Amino acid sequence: MAQAIVDDEVELGARVAGGPVPVLRKGMAEWLFLVPALIFFIGYQVWPIVRVLWLSFTNFQLLSDKPAQWVGFDNYAQALHDPLMWASLGRAALFTIMFLPGTIILPLLLAIFVDRVANQRLATLYRVILLIPAVIPSTLIFVLWKWMYNYQSGPINHLLVNVFGLFTIQNAPQWLGGTPLTLPAIAIMEVWWGLGYHTIFFIAGLAAIPKDMPDAARIDGANEWQVFWHVTRPQLAPIMMILVVLRFGSAMAVIEEYLIFGGFNRASPTYTWTIFMYDQAFKTGLWRQGYAASIGMIGAIAMMIVMAGLIWIFRPKG
Amino acid sequence: MSGRNEQEYIFQEAARLELAQGRIDRREFITRSLVSGLGLAGVGAVAKSGITPAFAADRPLTPTFYQWIQDLHPGIPAVNAKFPGINYQIAPVEGFGIERFVAEAKNKQSTWDVYVGQTPFVEMSAFIKAGVIEPWDNYIPKDVIDDIIPSIRAECSVDGKLYSWPFFLDVIGTSWHSGITGKAGVPDAAPATWDEFLASSKKIVDSKAAPWGATFDAHGWRSLVPVTHSMSTKAYTPEGLFDFTSEPAIEALKLMKQIMAYSNPDILLEGSSDAGVNSTTDEVAFQAQRVGLYFKYFNAPLRMAASWDDPKLLHLGPLPKFTNGEGSTVFWTTGCALFKYGQNKEKAAEYIKALTYDPQIWKDSIVGTPGVHPGQLPPYKSIYAGWDSSKPDWMPPFVGLVRSQLDRAKAIDNNIFGLQQFVIGKPIWETYLKGEEPDPKVAMTKVMEAVQKEIKKG
Repeated sequence: MAQAIVDDEVELGARVAGGPVPVLRKGMAEWLFLVPALIFFIGYQVWPIVRVLWLSFTNFQLLSDKPAQWVGFDNYAQALHDPLMWASLGRAALFTIMFLPGTIILPLLLAIFVDRVANQRLATLYRVILLIPAVIPSTLIFVLWKWMYNYQSGPINHLLVNVFGLFTIQNAPQWLGGTPLTLPAIAIMEVWWGLGYHTIFFIAGLAAIPKDMPDAARIDGANEWQVFWHVTRPQLAPIMMILVVLRFGSAMAVIEEYLIFGGFNRASPTYTWTIFMYDQAFKTGLWRQGYAASIGMIGAIAMMIVMAGLIWIFRPKG
Repeated sequence: MSGRNEQEYIFQEAARLELAQGRIDRREFITRSLVSGLGLAGVGAVAKSGITPAFAADRPLTPTFYQWIQDLHPGIPAVNAKFPGINYQIAPVEGFGIERFVAEAKNKQSTWDVYVGQTPFVEMSAFIKAGVIEPWDNYIPKDVIDDIIPSIRAECSVDGKLYSWPFFLDVIGTSWHSGITGKAGVPDAAPATWDEFLASSKKIVDSKAAPWGATFDAHGWRSLVPVTHSMSTKAYTPEGLFDFTSEPAIEALKLMKQIMAYSNPDILLEGSSDAGVNSTTDEVAFQAQRVGLYFKYFNAPLRMAASWDDPKLLHLGPLPKFTNGEGSTVFWTTGCALFKYGQNKEKAAEYIKALTYDPQIWKDSIVGTPGVHPGQLPPYKSIYAGWDSSKPDWMPPFVGLVRSQLDRAKAIDNNIFGLQQFVIGKPIWETYLKGEEPDPKVAMTKVMEAVQKEIKKG
């Protein structure tokens, strides 16, 4: 307090003297604390993006000893004319369409149910059970679901063939390995994996809604659906927007699961733009990293356009 | 001060290179410098090129292995024990990814001295192109290089120089579950021809001895290529690419479709590890004892049969051939690459020689150890000659059969697209296998076009 008074007096004095107020000096300490984070952000986030952007305008091939040469938009033109670019983007979009509703509808329903559980211990137990998949490392998740989906020895097909008799050993579903079922199978795995995590988002959102609002709506004669649609849903809109935008980004950018479940088969539904980019950068020919960079930039720009649309659609209204 | 003459510079640079390559140590370098009168000028050369090369000789021998090699060959630690101080490591190469090696070479560095896990047709051309590896010729003893089986030496060489010191030999052959074939009334012998193979597969299915008669690994280098070679090994273009439109390749594709009529329905699906290349559906089917006949490199059926109630029911033999075909097969080796920017190169050669000649490693590989049975064979004439002259009591029959076929076997030609041509082509030739394209020649022509299109991109 005393220091603030002294500072103010200094400032007043400076103004009286007619000189500029050294506002920046007052905030310098705060900026200094940001420097380490800024260095990390610029070094590990911004610089790689700038570097990839530059690469995308060159014909750089990592295995070649020729220096990279500027080619302008040639890589972009080639990528945009490559049917595989559009096919791979489409596959990623298809997966995202399968996956996204699972990050909203099911977690929201579960959050509403858990929120209405009167017994707090039971509610806590439900939350813990929901969060178990979220704490399992990704490697174990993939091993688990590869076994679950195994055509010949997995428990899902065992149930379908040997227990329920819905299929035979010859026509049982082929869940992975590049079949049409592969993307839905991975989507189910991802929804299960993130279910608890997404539910917690909505539980937190529900806790923030003042209880008198839905009560008032019920007194006014609204049924449960009307209470949800007109009271609860708008209050949860910011959370929905965050989840949709975040999950859209992560779904479009999936690569690990596709590498593990689908490999580099170009006809596979898992050969998305991320695999295409990786294939060009580290597997094919002389490793055309300039071309791969352009694939990455096209995918990123496409995602940004859609994200902007999603933010606008899910923006909190009123 | 007088200028230094050219001879001094030449001598100094030669000595500096030897020091950088680890062929002499610091003491030797300084001794040579002093003896030749260069004195502090020699030290100056070291300072100019940096401290790291001078200290190179202090780094212990640092080999790095693909994980599966350690998993399948438990005799390696015993060899390592003969090299005190060795800095043995596992390579960051999951999914056959070699990016780390390439990135380091671009910076003229190498964390490791030698990589054990290189398959010539897969990554050797990329390593050479990117300047990651150098030939072994300056380091491998002459008696060793002359001892390598000629076809293997050819596989591991480019322009007459040995870029891969071969270690494990894999050959594609036939295996069968003798319990299933016996139950089906199929002869307990490797089918001599593909017609016999098909007939036996059908018999297994018809007799219900097993759900499926035969299986194979649908990746091209494990099925299309060996079947092609069984007709003819003249199926490569002058550029060293597989000629998908050649008659042997087209006949091979047609045969694969015929075999699929008796195979597990998921035979064309990607595997579940190493980006779909390993832990394949054929292995699952064979391990589950649901299929009678199988052709793949021998370590696959040996590993799968290890979990059977009675692993002795596994029998092995050579690949069938087409009637009037050459009767060849395909082989490849997993070998050792010498990093150009690695150190301890003479020591690396000593180590690799010790590894590749170790009798316990070969016995364990052929006979198996608890839980592991790779079935991979050595690359040296002398080892086979020794077994021929004094046959060990543990030697199974398949080794002799495979060795005899090796003289007719051919490796896949080395090319930067050596592996990728099959990855690119697989979904296209599979349109014929799935019945989407009725004409195999059309499918294979599209494969060639797709591969050529990719090559043109660079």
